[in-house]
Amino acid sequence: MGKDSIVVGLEIGTSKICAVVGETRGDGTIRILGVGHAPSRGVRKGEIVDFETAGKCIREALVDAEEKSDVMIGSVYLGVTGGHIESFNNRGAINIPEDRDEICEEDFEDVQTSAREVSIPSQNMFVHSILQHYFIDGQDGVLNPIGMLGRRLEADFHIIHGVANRIKNSIRCVKEVGPEVLDVVYAPLATAQVVLDQNQKSLGALVIDMGGGTTDYIVYVDGAVQQSGSLPIGGDHMTNDISLGLRIPMAKAEKLKVEEGSVLLGESHPGEMIVLKDETGFAGKEVEREMLNTILHCRARETFELLKRQLDAEGHLPYLGAGIMLTGGCSLLKGIDQLAEEIFGAPAHLTHAHAVSGLTSAFENPQFSTAIGLIKYAEAMQPERPKSLLTRVLRKFSFLWMWMF
Amino acid sequence: MIPIDRNRPTAVQQDVRIKIVGLGGAGSNTLDRIMLDAPPGAEFVAINTDMQALTGSVAAEKVQLGRATTRGLGAGGDPEVGYAAAEEALDEIRAAIGGAQMVFLCVGLGGGTGSGAARIVVAQAREQGALVIVFATLPFTFEGRRRMAQAEEALAAVRRDADVVICFENDKMGDAVAPLAGIQDAFTTADQTISQSVRAIAALVQRRGVMHLGFDELATALRCPGEAAPRCLFGFGEADGDNRANDALARALKSPLMDKGRMLDDARNVLVNVAGGPGMTLNEVQILMESLNRHIGDETRILFGAAVDPRMGLRMSVTILSALEAQVPVAMTPRPAPRVVAPAPAPVERKPEWEIEEPAMPTVEYVDSDDAMTEPEPMPLPAEPEPVRVAASAANPVAKPKRAETKQEQMQFEPVARGRFEKSEPTIVDGQNLDVPTFMRRNVKVK
Repeated sequence: MGKDSIVVGLEIGTSKICAVVGETRGDGTIRILGVGHAPSRGVRKGEIVDFETAGKCIREALVDAEEKSDVMIGSVYLGVTGGHIESFNNRGAINIPEDRDEICEEDFEDVQTSAREVSIPSQNMFVHSILQHYFIDGQDGVLNPIGMLGRRLEADFHIIHGVANRIKNSIRCVKEVGPEVLDVVYAPLATAQVVLDQNQKSLGALVIDMGGGTTDYIVYVDGAVQQSGSLPIGGDHMTNDISLGLRIPMAKAEKLKVEEGSVLLGESHPGEMIVLKDETGFAGKEVEREMLNTILHCRARETFELLKRQLDAEGHLPYLGAGIMLTGGCSLLKGIDQLAEEIFGAPAHLTHAHAVSGLTSAFENPQFSTAIGLIKYAEAMQPERPKSLLTRVLRKFSFLWMWMF
Repeated sequence: MIPIDRNRPTAVQQDVRIKIVGLGGAGSNTLDRIMLDAPPGAEFVAINTDMQALTGSVAAEKVQLGRATTRGLGAGGDPEVGYAAAEEALDEIRAAIGGAQMVFLCVGLGGGTGSGAARIVVAQAREQGALVIVFATLPFTFEGRRRMAQAEEALAAVRRDADVVICFENDKMGDAVAPLAGIQDAFTTADQTISQSVRAIAALVQRRGVMHLGFDELATALRCPGEAAPRCLFGFGEADGDNRANDALARALKSPLMDKGRMLDDARNVLVNVAGGPGMTLNEVQILMESLNRHIGDETRILFGAAVDPRMGLRMSVTILSALEAQVPVAMTPRPAPRVVAPAPAPVERKPEWEIEEPAMPTVEYVDSDDAMTEPEPMPLPAEPEPVRVAASAANPVAKPKRAETKQEQMQFEPVARGRFEKSEPTIVDGQNLDVPTFMRRNVKVK
């Protein structure tokens, strides 16, 4: 344990960049040591558009985290997102060689490779291939095939891929600031690690992470990832809509959204006005509350509807036993859970990171779910690491491999 | 009320017969290039004084000029010789271009044959009742003042007679090529651009669009006040894939004669034709026009056309055509009230056969809709524009601008605000730009 157990999760978001320093313990729990964050600039819709500015903000966030946690940050787990990331399910299958009938570890690697033998656009690379189920000789429900007898091993994988250059750009941006990037993790996958417990994953759950630039989602059914994706629409769009609709500057629009905004219609008294204070604190422009809410409602409804369409295509919605979990900065908007319930027809809950200890203020804030999730993800990956040094090197290599292709 | 003949053949569409003529050395070269991917149904005629060059041409029909005057040699850079040679072969020229409803003349001005014979070919073609579009190439400045003067003189003469003149300046085309590119590349690029525009315009005239652009719009787009030779802006782009609307536009704006769209700001009339397969959505067109509008000034009139052509498949193409007043007016021989480009009603005055047929066809129609062609079912929409069309072609000078006006109103592509996402890559789902506030797209009243 010791030094190895300190993990840093870095999320480059559209509205803020946050770095969370956590300590993973042997028993699977994690403790948050410190959270550093900085307002984000140079990022649009979850993707870096201005290298230099984004680099400065990353540095700010990392320095902040170092100060608060008193830890030198040497390496990070990086969360990536963006509208370019896509996913699909695919089954890999291999025949066990004639000379043996026991399934061994390398067969697992082979089946994963076979599942990846699908055509993704040439500029894309694989980010994750997450195991869903094994089948041995057509029999399903196998949890761990290693050591079992069989002729044919099949496995379903959820494969997530994205545009290689955009992902590499994020990695590069972080590396230029200093720390090594141990792994890239698709943001909603990380989020799900802390907002869902094993029970909820088995029951079936939808996690919607409503961030500043993107709305990411991930669906768990029967304990396995079934669907994931990102819509490049987020809180930024809401602020932008308010700014354009009510003709007020972005900063004021953002403040108005956070302090007064609601996505429910007909909740305010007719003609109820909100007075915007100007810099000197005097009453300035007046805005009708219903107008503000209409703008937010339109955008939120559209986002949910687009999401629902993607979810309907796969048909997992009726199997969400644990309902919908809303997290991310935008989930703080008033009434967002009611709107989600109305559109998806399933109970929606506001949630934040669970199963962690340490800074309560950090994990109870839904804005930090993804960054904390990165730590949990890293923790989950650790026991999987084989003990021998050689295979560990190989495993490291395979992480590299993940983003080389 | 105008009775609608339900049994009328809605779309007995005859392809416009097009002849593409390459005149002189430069013209023949361009012609060979065009033939590499020829517009469907076009016929090719090569006309030259130089027997050797003529033999080398791949055109089906060939006309040798000046059997007696030049005896198979070139015109030696003298337009007088070129003119005399063409006079001599008048009958042959007439025979070669006869029967065409449209003649596209590709000519390099400045030399002997091109400068001398161009006006004769144009005059002959018009005499036969064809519409004439001239694709003229002006020489490089380094070729000398004399040559430039000859070219300008010839251009002025051609302008008087031709219906539309599209002018390519070699100097400008040279800018498009990297300075280190071989001379061969430079000329190939130039020929390619001309070939592309020939094809684009042929397609424009032949394809019946959902929103059709005709010859009159073409003439309007290229009309320019002032005596100086207008600078032609031409852009053509084609793309497929999810973002095809934006890609096609980006490619069109990259065309050598487009100057990245910067010049479009000053243009008075801009012709934009969008073509795509049956899968093309209105929203895609909207997106395309939205981004194009950013390059176009508020005062500019947009002549918009859209065509659906099953041959396009998943591709989408955009053609942008406009003319600009030349910034430095070139001194030219003063002529009493010269016609810069033939005005729009020109085709109507002469009423070539195929032009009269046109009113019989509804203006709103899918090229591919077989059902619509065979079904005698009355279609209220296609029937509607008919009276307008009749009025327009009845040489009513008032009706013309009016029609353009109403079209303008229909096609108001207001640049929709994207606020802080203005510069970022648009997010397009189902052809809707999600960066534009939802309430604006859904027309929810705010305030």
